[in-house]
Amino acid sequence: MTATVFDQIRTMASDLFGVPVDQISAASSAQTLDNWDSIQHLNLVLAVEEKFGLQLSPEEIEQMKTVGDTAKLVESKLQAAPR
Amino acid sequence: MAIVIQPYRQEHEPAVQEFNRRLQQSSGDPNLVFSQNAIPRWLPPASNNPVWNEFFVAVEGSSVRGAYALKQEQIFTRGKGLHRVACYHHPLSEGIVDRAYASVGALLARDALARQPFLYALGMGGADRPIAKMLKALGFSLTPIPFYFHVLHPAKFLLEMQALRQKRWRAILMNLAAATGTGWLAIKSAQAVARLRGRPGNFTAEEVSEFSDWTENLWNQVKDTVSLAAVRDANTLRLLYPPQAANIKRLRISRNGAALGWAIVGERRQDAKFGNMRVGSIVDCWASPENSAAVVRAAIQSLEKEGVDLIASNQSHQGWCGAFGSAGFLKGPSTFVFAASKRLTELLQPLDETRPSFHITRADGDGLPANF
Repeated sequence: MTATVFDQIRTMASDLFGVPVDQISAASSAQTLDNWDSIQHLNLVLAVEEKFGLQLSPEEIEQMKTVGDTAKLVESKLQAAPR
Repeated sequence: MAIVIQPYRQEHEPAVQEFNRRLQQSSGDPNLVFSQNAIPRWLPPASNNPVWNEFFVAVEGSSVRGAYALKQEQIFTRGKGLHRVACYHHPLSEGIVDRAYASVGALLARDALARQPFLYALGMGGADRPIAKMLKALGFSLTPIPFYFHVLHPAKFLLEMQALRQKRWRAILMNLAAATGTGWLAIKSAQAVARLRGRPGNFTAEEVSEFSDWTENLWNQVKDTVSLAAVRDANTLRLLYPPQAANIKRLRISRNGAALGWAIVGERRQDAKFGNMRVGSIVDCWASPENSAAVVRAAIQSLEKEGVDLIASNQSHQGWCGAFGSAGFLKGPSTFVFAASKRLTELLQPLDETRPSFHITRADGDGLPANF
């Protein structure tokens, strides 16, 4: 069974922000996770780009306000990507 | 509402003032402030100028959520010639005080890289500070630039050097050393031993009101002794150190009438970490390696005459590091870091070989107006 995009991003967020996976929900954000600061936001951007082979625009980086937003963004980009 | 990064224009000035107010109010840090003027006061853009500053703001509706500056300039790299680069400086993000804007820091840095892939940053307060960490995450290489200091008045240094006196036991020991004279003896001995290692030969130093064409010859004669330097030709020097800059001194060092090198010296603004000490700085310098010792001695003599208690300098080139050591300077922990983007780092390869002859001083980046 393959992990969903959300699961993969949740695991990424867990590693980056030092929070157990089960404490991260779709609503988790910089306001709810202590370690989600500007540096870790950049690290999340870089990790997402590397993991999914994407290039995120400034507008997309700004959309990544929660873990759920990030997962939705990645899913839509993956669906739009040429196969 | 989307955040858009755009050149800072006069119409943004009220929003920048409001941005500054929010940062200062929430952080309590008076240093968190971006230029209230859309046109840079230091090195404004002008046609035909080789070096200039540009400001950018991150705008959300009618609010500014972040800002940064680029100092556009040319560097010389040995074997590869001149390249246009930019120094990324004064990045400020609302994310510092409001987590809802945690993305702004990444947006600013990426925007700067998109505008100039050959990007660097300098200083930053150390490799462990947020900006340096962010640039490292973006693949920048980090190189600490050594810090040198020379104590002219040891007793005052021991009593006033707040950065070293933060632990109570250390402050007591420093008071004792100052009162008994053992501190004077220890510092003077260490500096004297270092001085024994080198003699600069005879030289003449004079203060000049501006850097004229003789500096052009020096630039051309010396540049191949460095692997990297921001251009220091006569035209650039006149912009960086104009005659009206009264807070610095321009020194011309010569032997038998022939120019050997130049130095910029000045007294730093009062800074809490130096207590009530008067701190002089050898801000910038240029000479061939064999003449660097004379330039350092001339700079010391000039600052000694000014009556400073301590002289500080940041130097990266191994030849200059040697000259400062031979002049009695001691090496201290450095928080002054050179960060080069991936593209700039590629240009500087092989780093292990080129790094020792980078010529980077306190005058590079944005350092000069901030501290003098």
